[in-house]
Order: sequence, then structure tokens, then C-alpha cells
Amino acid sequence: MSEPDPTQPSEIEITGLSKTFGQGASAFTALADIDLSIRTGEFFTLLGPSGCGKTTLLRVIAGFEQPTTGSLKINGKEVAGQGPNARPVNTVFQSYALFPHMSVAQNIGFGLKMLGRPAAEVKETTAQMLKLVQMEAMADRKPSEISGGQQQRVALARALAPQPRVLLLDEPLSALDLKLRKEMQSELKRLQTETGITFVFVTHDQEEALTMSDRIAVMSGGRILQLGAPNDIYNSPAERFVADFIGDTNFLTVKVVEATDTIAQVRLPGGMLQSARLPEGMHPAAGDDVTVVIRPEQANLTEGGASPLSATVTHSVFFGTDTLVHVTLVDGTPFTLRRQNAGNPTPPAPGTQVGLTFAHGALQVIRE
Amino acid sequence: MASDPNQQTERHGWKWLLSTPALIVLVLAASGPLMIVIVYSFLTPGNMGGVAWEFSTDAWFRVFFRRDIFDPENVTVNQAHLAVLWRSVWLSAQTTVICAVLGFPTAWFIATRPPSQRTVWLFLITIPFWTNLLIRTFAIQEMLRNNGTINTALLWLGVINEPIPMMFTDFAVLLGMAYVFMPLMVLPLYAAMDKMDFRLVEAGYDLYASRIAVLRHVILPLVKPGFIAGSILVFIPSIGAYVTPRVLGGGQKMMLGNLIALQFGQGRNWPLGAALAMVLLIITITALVLYLRAVNRQEAKRDG
Ligand SMILES: Nc1ncnc2c1ncn2[C@@H]1O[C@H](COP(=O)(O)OP(=O)(O)OP(=O)(O)O)[C@@H](O)[C@H]1O
Ligand SMILES: [Mg+2]
Repeated sequence: MSEPDPTQPSEIEITGLSKTFGQGASAFTALADIDLSIRTGEFFTLLGPSGCGKTTLLRVIAGFEQPTTGSLKINGKEVAGQGPNARPVNTVFQSYALFPHMSVAQNIGFGLKMLGRPAAEVKETTAQMLKLVQMEAMADRKPSEISGGQQQRVALARALAPQPRVLLLDEPLSALDLKLRKEMQSELKRLQTETGITFVFVTHDQEEALTMSDRIAVMSGGRILQLGAPNDIYNSPAERFVADFIGDTNFLTVKVVEATDTIAQVRLPGGMLQSARLPEGMHPAAGDDVTVVIRPEQANLTEGGASPLSATVTHSVFFGTDTLVHVTLVDGTPFTLRRQNAGNPTPPAPGTQVGLTFAHGALQVIRE
Repeated sequence: MASDPNQQTERHGWKWLLSTPALIVLVLAASGPLMIVIVYSFLTPGNMGGVAWEFSTDAWFRVFFRRDIFDPENVTVNQAHLAVLWRSVWLSAQTTVICAVLGFPTAWFIATRPPSQRTVWLFLITIPFWTNLLIRTFAIQEMLRNNGTINTALLWLGVINEPIPMMFTDFAVLLGMAYVFMPLMVLPLYAAMDKMDFRLVEAGYDLYASRIAVLRHVILPLVKPGFIAGSILVFIPSIGAYVTPRVLGGGQKMMLGNLIALQFGQGRNWPLGAALAMVLLIITITALVLYLRAVNRQEAKRDG
């Protein structure tokens, strides 16, 4: 994964932005104090549960909604007050919103036509776009005469044709079945790399976010909880919500023995000492109780022999390539670990006493 | 499951009987009176009105031509009838355009209200229908008269020195018809807008279209079915209008409906009235066919 150069200029600069719908008693704050900088050419994902404000943020960037407070710069220029037709930004709508009375080719050429480009150029770019999304054969069909996946491609081509600086995509794959979805995921990624356009992608599917993005902003309740590269978000979640929302996780309450700025020595149930990473700005004192997260695949299981952290197997679930082994720790805390099946043909029987060890850097302290 | 084809036809054989009531109504209500009108238009006028059962094409001849009373060989085009025909078509077309131009923003206004308010606005649009057409037309007359509301107000304000004559003009007839038929344009337009996906409008703006361009390239094509339905609903009753041109246009600004009524009444020439009624029907159908064809051709052109 190519991490964009942080020294690159930011394409979208959002500071202190909030959006409130309605007034008085019925007022609802959909976005609260958002600070966000999206870099030129990156695949940026907004990830969060339903109703957290992803669409609202996208609509503010597109210009369909005006922010209540704060500033929004695109390519260095303040765009507050500008309508969507004045912004170098195009949207791929969740419902595609293809014009039903126009052919596929007319849909794709619409933006260029509205920009007043000469007919020859419109035609040429439309042909290029049709090729890019492999829809040449259906150029003259109406949107109602093509499949959902094909509509999706046309919507993409229509938004890409005017060569915007930024492409906004609101859950563009959610209506597709799993297989098509996987196909379109790699197709989107390919298009983004080929065109070099900044993508702002909305999804509530964590796997989609992890596989496609350069950076992810995890949102909840109108706020951005954490922003970072997929592996940062996955391995070093800063808050319980983020850890819980992305992937399967074990939460353990542990006691801090000593702490530096970035690392804490913590005592696990049963007395084992381990070092755990601290989220930025968190400085627990010795003796504090904190919560650590450990991903199931970061824990290993040893059978037979003494172990500093022993546990009892409750049950195992077979998943093909690996097996989820559920155990309880000495103090009764449930814990799940993931074991590859290659080289471990039989899962441990329920009731077996096992020992747990953790991969280096497996423990991450979170804010509650 | 294999089914016996004979049984199938037999099953369908009696099923059409179920539509008999509808057929009877159609024959009696639609074709019956039409047949009578066609037959009457080829008969001779009776002395005291009515018809004499004697075949004649004179009524049809007199729709378009007139004979000098003293010199029957001297045949001229019936200017008066043609003028009425033309005025009917022209005023109805104008009424349709006025209703479309004013009805569009009205329907748009309603369609963009919050859903809870729309019912109220639709309700308000239909209020004029609650009052008898004649009363409403007289109310307009009350406004347009030389010493009516408008002229009195303008005189009082000193804008004019003497009343503007508005009654018995094409303007008065147009105003009345546009007012009366407006809901027939607004309602189908609203229905079309209500069905419209407003995200398409957003998509238009997103793709750099100005407000005018969104209107022209996105909204108008999408609400076209509403325009078509509304135009037909306004044009047909306009061209046959009787009350409005009678009250607001007087004797000078007659329309086809008034001319037909005249023949069945004072004129005591039922065959001529019947022939004129047939002409009205033919004009209406022709106009409809031409209109729908033009609309479809435009569609084909855009697709091509
Ligand atoms: N026009 C509006 N008026 C009032 N409230 C609104 C409006 N638009 C959105 N909201 C509210 O703002 C919140 C965020 O909505 P938004 O559509 O941004 O969520 P989302 O994260 O996109 O959710 P989903 O994943 O379900 O699409 C929701 O609680 C929603 O009810
Ligand atoms: Mg949404």
C-alpha cells in the first residue's frame, strides 16, 4: 500500500466544520467540529455505522448542503457558498441517479456538455470513458435497459468524464451482490490509480474500507474518532468504538505497572507482565486499570507444559483456513484466538488446559 | 399441465360477456349520441327547430361557405364561421400555453413543499372547482367591467383617466379560460413531479449544469408526461368552451361552442349545429394526433 506523501498539498481542507439540521428544539447536529485534511490523489474512506453522518459530510463537500459553521477548502480555495456546479467535485450517488431519459453515452457526456466543451471533445471523452468502464457495447441503451452493476459503471464513468479533482462515492457498491462487489472494488481501485483523482469513499463495510483505502476516518455520532492508514486503525485502535467496529477483538482489563509516553507495562489476569502501546495523549499512572485490545490472530496457543497465562478451552469453531478457539482466562474473562489450520489438524477439545502467548506488539491500550 | 385448447376457447368464450355492461355504456353513452349527431348533420332543418328526415349535405356546405340569399349561385367562403373556428383553435392553444407556463411553477411550488403541507396546497388548488362555473365567470366579469374592481382601483390610484375596456375581448376570454382550466394543468404536472427523483436534479447540478440547464435537460424531460396530460386536459374543454366565451366574450368574441349552441337555439338549424359539432370533434382529434406525433418525433430526435 502506498502511503501518500504527507508533504503533498491537501486536496480538501476542513476545519471546525459542523452541520445542524433544523432549529430550536428539533435541531439535530449531524456533524460536530470536524477537522480533516484529505491529500491529493489518495483513496480516502469515511467509515462508520448508519446515521453517523457520512453522507452528510459528503454532501457538504459536494455542495448540496452548506455547513453551519467552519470552513471547507478545495484545492486551497474556500468554497463556502458555492453551489455543486461550481466545485471541481463529482459525486457517484448511492442510487446512481442516472438520467432515465438519456442513453448511457448521453449520461456520460452530460457533465462535459454542461461545461460547454465542443461536441467533438464530448464525443471523444465519452468514448474513452465507455472504454474505461468496459461499456462500449451498451452506449446507446437507456439506464433501465442495463443491469445494476452496469449502471454502477456508467455512474462512475459519468462522474469521471469531466475529470474532477475529487470524486465522492457514497456507498457505491452496497446494492451489488458479493461477487460483483469484489469485482467492482478492484475496478474502483484500478480507476483511482489510473486517473490519479482523489477519491472520497463512504462505506459502512469495514473489510471494504481496510482493503481499498490509503487512509480511513472512522466516524461515530457526527465526529471523527480516529484517522489513519488501515493497518494503524486495525492494529492501534484508540477507542473502544473503533476497536469494536473494525474486526473481532478481545478486550481485557489490566493494571498498569509503569508507563512511558508511548508504552505501558501492564499486568494481565494471572500475573503475566506484557508491554502495551498507548494511544496518543494518554498517560496512565502506575496502578490504574486500563483496557487493552488484542486481535484474535495475535494470540498463540500452547498445549501442554506450564504457561505464564493459562486458559481453559470452551469450544472451537472451524472456518476453513483457520479455527476460532474460545477460551476462558483464569479470572473467567472470555477470550477468542484465531489459529491457522495448516499444521494444526485437530482443534483442542473443550476443557483442555492451554497456555496463551502474544505476538510482539499485540497489546494496545484504548481510551474508554 | 396440458390443457385442452378447446376448453380454453370455451372458457374465454363466455368471459367477454362479463364486459357487457361496459360495452352497453360505451355504445349508448359514447357512440349513440355521436351517431345521432352524424345523422342529423346530413338532414334538413325543420321549420320550428329539429330536423326533417330528408338527406342533405347543405349543413356541411354551410359550415364553410355561404350563398347569397338573392343570388344562390353566388357562393362565398363563410368568413364568420372560419373566424370562429380559427378563434377557437387559437384561443385554446393560447390558453394551454398560459396554463402550462403558469401551472409549472405552481406545481413545482407544491411538489417542493414538505409532504405534510402538499395536501393543503393541492386542496387550495381545487377550491375554484367548488363554485359553479357560471358564478366564477361572473366574478371575473365583475373584475373586468368598465366600472369593475380593476378599473375602479386604477382610476382611484390615478394610473388611468378613463376605464380600460377589457370585457368582450380575446383577453377577457383567455383570462377566464386560463383561470378555469389551470387546475387541469397543475394536477397532472404535480403528479409527474411527485414521481420525479429529486436526486436527478442534484446529479444535474453536480455535473456543472446551471439552474436553467437543469430545468431544460433534467426537469422538463422528466415531467413531460405531465405536460402532455395537462395540455390535453386543458385544450379539449377549451376548444368546446361555452360559458366563458359567452359571458366574457359576448356576441362578438364567439367560440365554436357558442356557435353550435346558437344553431340549436335561435338559429333553428340543427343540422348545421350538428355539422359544426362534428367539425369541433375532427379539429380536436386532429390537434391531438398532431400534438402527440410532434412530441414523439422530438423524443426520437433526442434519442438519435
Ligand atoms: N435533511 C436532514 N434533516 C434532518 N436530519 C437529517 C437530514 N439529513 C440527515 N439527517 C440526520 O443526520 C444524521 C446523519 O445522516 P447521514 O445520512 O449523514 O448518515 P450516514 O452516516 O450516511 O448513514 P447511512 O450509513 O445510513 O447512510 C442522521 O441521524 C440523519 O437522520
Ligand atoms: Mg448515507
